Parts: sequence; C-alpha cells; structure tokens
Amino acid sequence: MKKPLIYVIEDDRDMSELLTNYLKRIAEVKKFYNAISAVNNIDEDNPSLILLDILLDGPDGFTFLNEIMSYQKTAKIPIILITSLEIGAKEDLIDYGVVEILNKESTTPDEIREVTEKWIDRNVKNN
Amino acid sequence: MTEVNGVFVVAHELKSPLALMRQLALSIDLEDEKSVVFAKDKIVSTAERAMRQVNDLTKIARLEDGLFELEPVSVRGVCDDVTRELRYLYRENHKTLKEKYTNRSKLVVANREMLYSVIYNFCLNALRYSDEETRSELIVKDSGDKIEIRVRDFGPALPVKIWKELKYGWISEPTSIAMRPGSSGLGLYIASKFARFMNGDVSAIRHRDGTSFILKLPVSKQASLF
Repeated sequence: MKKPLIYVIEDDRDMSELLTNYLKRIAEVKKFYNAISAVNNIDEDNPSLILLDILLDGPDGFTFLNEIMSYQKTAKIPIILITSLEIGAKEDLIDYGVVEILNKESTTPDEIREVTEKWIDRNVKNN
Repeated sequence: MTEVNGVFVVAHELKSPLALMRQLALSIDLEDEKSVVFAKDKIVSTAERAMRQVNDLTKIARLEDGLFELEPVSVRGVCDDVTRELRYLYRENHKTLKEKYTNRSKLVVANREMLYSVIYNFCLNALRYSDEETRSELIVKDSGDKIEIRVRDFGPALPVKIWKELKYGWISEPTSIAMRPGSSGLGLYIASKFARFMNGDVSAIRHRDGTSFILKLPVSKQASLF
C-alpha cells in the first residue's frame, strides 16, 4: 500500500531533516523551506497532512494557513503546527485546519510520530 | 536596547538553537551510528553558533570598559577565516559564497574579533536568506578613505522599515518581532554596535531580488605587510 504523503514546511534545514527522519517510517515526506514552494505544489500533491512552522523565510505560517484554507481543495488538510512561539489555544486556529500545536522545546520524536499518525489515520478514514 | 525588550529578544534568539539541540539529542539512536554522527556534528555546530552570539552580546555589554583595542587588521585575512569557517555550512545547504577583492588598501583600523563577527554575521545572514541553489557574494573594495565590505544575498529583500533605520543611522535595538521572517535582527544590532565602536558604518541596499549589507571601516595608514 502506498504511504500517505506529508508536507514538512520548516525553514531550519536541520530541524526539517530531523522531522523527516522522525516521520519517514510512517509516511512519504516532502520538505519545503518556505511557504511559497509548498503552495506551488499542494494542489497536485494533495498531501494527507502538513507539519508547519510559523516563522518562515518569506510569507509566514499564518499567511500559509490563510492561503490554503481559502481554497476548497486544500481547506480540509489537517495541519500540525510545530513552533517555538507561544501562539495560544488550538481552538482559536481550528478554522484554519490546525488540529494540533506542538512546541519544539518540549515535544519528543515519539509524540511527533504519534500525533502525526493519529491525524493521518483520521484523514484517511474521512476520505 | 531597552532592558525588557532586549531580554525578550535575546531569549527568543537563543530558544531556537536550544530547541534544535534538544531535538537532536532526542533523535540519537545508539544502535544507528549514522544518527549518532549526524546529531553530534549538528549539536556542536549549533552550540558554536549560539556561543558566538552570546560572546558578542557579552562584548557589547563591556564595550565601554576599554577592554577592546583598535589596531591595523588585514581585511583579506579576516574574510578568508570567515569563509573557511562557513564553507562547510554553505556546501551543506547547496549554496556558494563567491569572494571578490579589488581593494588596494589592505588594512583597516578595527578590532579583529569584532570585524570577524560582523562579516560572519553578514555571511550567515546571506546563507539563511538566499534562495535555493543561489550564490551569495562577498565583495571588498576601496571607498575613499575607507574599505567597504559588502555581502549580497539573493532572496527576500530587507523590509523597508529596517532599511530606513539603517539608511538614517543604525539599528538602535533589535525588534521583538521578526525583521526578516525568522530573525529578530539581533545579528544586525550586534553588527551596528561593533561598527560604531570601530568608527565605521553599517548600511544596507535593497534589491528586487535580495539585499546587500555593507560595512565601511577606516583605512589604516600603517604600511601593509600582506
């Protein structure tokens, strides 16, 4: 069976590499270092889930959220924010497709894998 | 830098490398030698960059204590040391740094460590903000009774607000929000402080496809041995 596709949008190359290593066992991972290149590919790829950093080079994570939630085709892709910023409650971002917020300072590789797996499963079942 | 804002910015700036080092440590799988080597190398280089920033901040706090001397310094020598240190990082990120020297004067009046730090910050900045597969440029040339050291990147341009601040003076404090996304501007603040201490100037030029950061330092009248 083909592995689901995950987007990792993270401008720090090292962090991006780490996240890819964490997740490649459970999914195919595509890395993007900025929001623009991710937006350029998203319609064609239709990923099952997106891991998104907030402070990015160029347009930031919030701009990316606004962009993809405004298109029917991408509005329902679940998004996990992974950031060092304190950005408040998940409930405030549900309308933007954000299903989880992970803090880079306290989360663990296992937690990242578990949360990702959980939301991939839900997304696959719902579709 | 006001105390509260300064503490906030520095704390935020240091959070990123600490978070990365923590993740790197957690990623180590002792049975997988590749993961051990990867994590070790990254932890060391991340810690070194963070320590450099802390050292620079410590120097800024003590600039007025008379601890730092100005002396004739070879610009080429410092640029060579910086590019040697960053070559690996550039290669790893599939980018290049091209150097061009047309300066006839070889020595500036500077503090060697501070000059190193400013050029290092500019080049690291260029690496970070350059687009994929692009080339950054380090250009050294004469400019009247000064030597100009310019680092050009090809990526998002510097926001107008910051460009204006540099144009009309210097960065008086790093902003608490991102100046260019992902950056608090702490590096630029440090560069501004060091340049001023060395009787030089920091400025920036916005291009449609990137930014040039410029440091100008007075030429040393001492005969060059280089």
